[in-house]
Amino acid sequence: MTGSSSPLVPAAVPQPGPSRGDRLRGLGWLIATIAAIAFAITPVISMLLTSLKSNREITQETSLVPQALTSANYVSLFSGREFGAYLTNSILVTSISVLIALVVGTQAAYVLARFRLRGGVDRYIGFALLMVRLLPPIVIIIPIFLAAQGLGLLNTRLSLIVVYAAFNVTIVVWMMESFFREIPVDLEEAAMVDGDTRFTAFRRIVLPLAAPGLVATGIFAVITTYNEFLFALVLTSTPGAETMPVGAATLIGRINVDWGAMSAAGVIGALPIVVFSIAVQRHLVRGLTMGAVK
Amino acid sequence: MAVALTPGGRGRALRGSGLDRVLPVLMLGPALFLVLGVIVYPLFDGLRSSTGFYRFGRLVRDVGLDNYKQAFADPLFTEALLTTLRFVVLAVTIELLLGLGLALLVARERRFIRRIRATLLLPMIVTPVVVGIVFRLIYASDVGLLASLAHAVGLSPPQILSNGGGAFAGLVILDVWEWTPLMFLILLAGIQSMPVEPFEAALVDGATGWRTFIDHTLPLLRPTILVAVTLRAIDALTTFDQVYVLTRGGPGTSTQLISIYGYQTFFQFQQVGYAAAMLFMVALVFLVGSGFAVGLMRRRPA
Repeated sequence: MTGSSSPLVPAAVPQPGPSRGDRLRGLGWLIATIAAIAFAITPVISMLLTSLKSNREITQETSLVPQALTSANYVSLFSGREFGAYLTNSILVTSISVLIALVVGTQAAYVLARFRLRGGVDRYIGFALLMVRLLPPIVIIIPIFLAAQGLGLLNTRLSLIVVYAAFNVTIVVWMMESFFREIPVDLEEAAMVDGDTRFTAFRRIVLPLAAPGLVATGIFAVITTYNEFLFALVLTSTPGAETMPVGAATLIGRINVDWGAMSAAGVIGALPIVVFSIAVQRHLVRGLTMGAVK
Repeated sequence: MAVALTPGGRGRALRGSGLDRVLPVLMLGPALFLVLGVIVYPLFDGLRSSTGFYRFGRLVRDVGLDNYKQAFADPLFTEALLTTLRFVVLAVTIELLLGLGLALLVARERRFIRRIRATLLLPMIVTPVVVGIVFRLIYASDVGLLASLAHAVGLSPPQILSNGGGAFAGLVILDVWEWTPLMFLILLAGIQSMPVEPFEAALVDGATGWRTFIDHTLPLLRPTILVAVTLRAIDALTTFDQVYVLTRGGPGTSTQLISIYGYQTFFQFQQVGYAAAMLFMVALVFLVGSGFAVGLMRRRPA
């Protein structure tokens, strides 16, 4: 449906070809499209271009497009520095914590969507989980650090997995609860009449129906977890456990004018999550807007 | 905790036997255990630390509310609060105006929206730390994108991160780039789900565009705007990653947001109790704000 076709003209009536006004409008929207896309990608593209220049070219030339492409900046990240380790840590920590949260969280969400607990406890739990879901990490960073220190878990991937799993659980419960509510109760009841227990009915009937929601939720959780910085900064300090954002940020802190390495670190830092997002693009809009709004 | 089992929403008694009776507890348990242990307990633990005096990371003695008193006597704390407030108000206002304007303009152009939507998600997806790097490169006075552009038109390169006002403005612009798309998408969804009847009636009555906007669009959109602004504001209140990479709070204290100051008080100056008190106050502000946001969201028809 386009905005320019008039709803008052029946479809059967042959319409005249595009008028000059229509073509001008079309041109206007084309320009608007380009402007909107340029707004979103120009900053990132300029970083990408810088990362492909040698440092000499960055400081001496002022052209935007690299004259001689070089991969030196990237090579330095993986050979001289520990970006391979950061990448492994990020992938491990993100995937394990999101998996735990999906398993634990969907069950809790199902209970909140289907059962009335005594005294309306379920509503309080739902409310509290939502508050916690919005809680900014900074307000509990000190006790978390002290606890990890006390337990000897500083500088381990385990500490990050536990913390991220907990935060992801709140995301999963919040999003999955509303997906479960959209599924008619009758389906499970029919299955239970046929001899399923509630739990098998949940696993056999409800979970498959909620699969699109599960995917959207997982995507949102993966993006927020991969991107998380503060906990990772505070809890880890060696390449054995540091994640990509921490690795990139600490590198930036050490090098001041090595613009080539800085931009390459930025590209490598964001690349995994951007690639992931493109791969799951079909489900992305729903996941991001639901996670951010609801 | 004892639970009664009534399948949700209906009075129908459909109960399995044995295990099914405790099923809700079993299914809810692990999630609650994780969240209570890893998030809620530390919140209260932080409250306890906030009344202590620490030396070398060890609790020396309890000092009651002294840490809180210290905060209000500390000019750096009040300054950080004011800077944060200025940042939140400025960034969120600009994002709202841009997002709303754009959403109103293009709400009916579905083809246009389809074309740009995936790209607009990019700023939200890119790791916040990397967003900081992106803008540090843009602002770099000698080699950045702005410097190149200035050079191309024959101007001297702008000095952005080396002066307080410039750095603060630079931070606001970063935030606007990162979050205007989200504001736009939320408001767009709100506009597209508005009923059409009031607008048809207004059209028949011959109301002007502006009157229609004030009389119909704004009131209908108000809940969406409130939710979007509140969520964005509580999120912006604790902005950390981007500042950490872009300026570390400098130059001077010009971009020292409360989260950065709290972090430094703990990790650089090792003042555990004082930092905990500061951050607990931030948590209180957050709890009020998010309680408000959650209340708003609950009132919306799901």
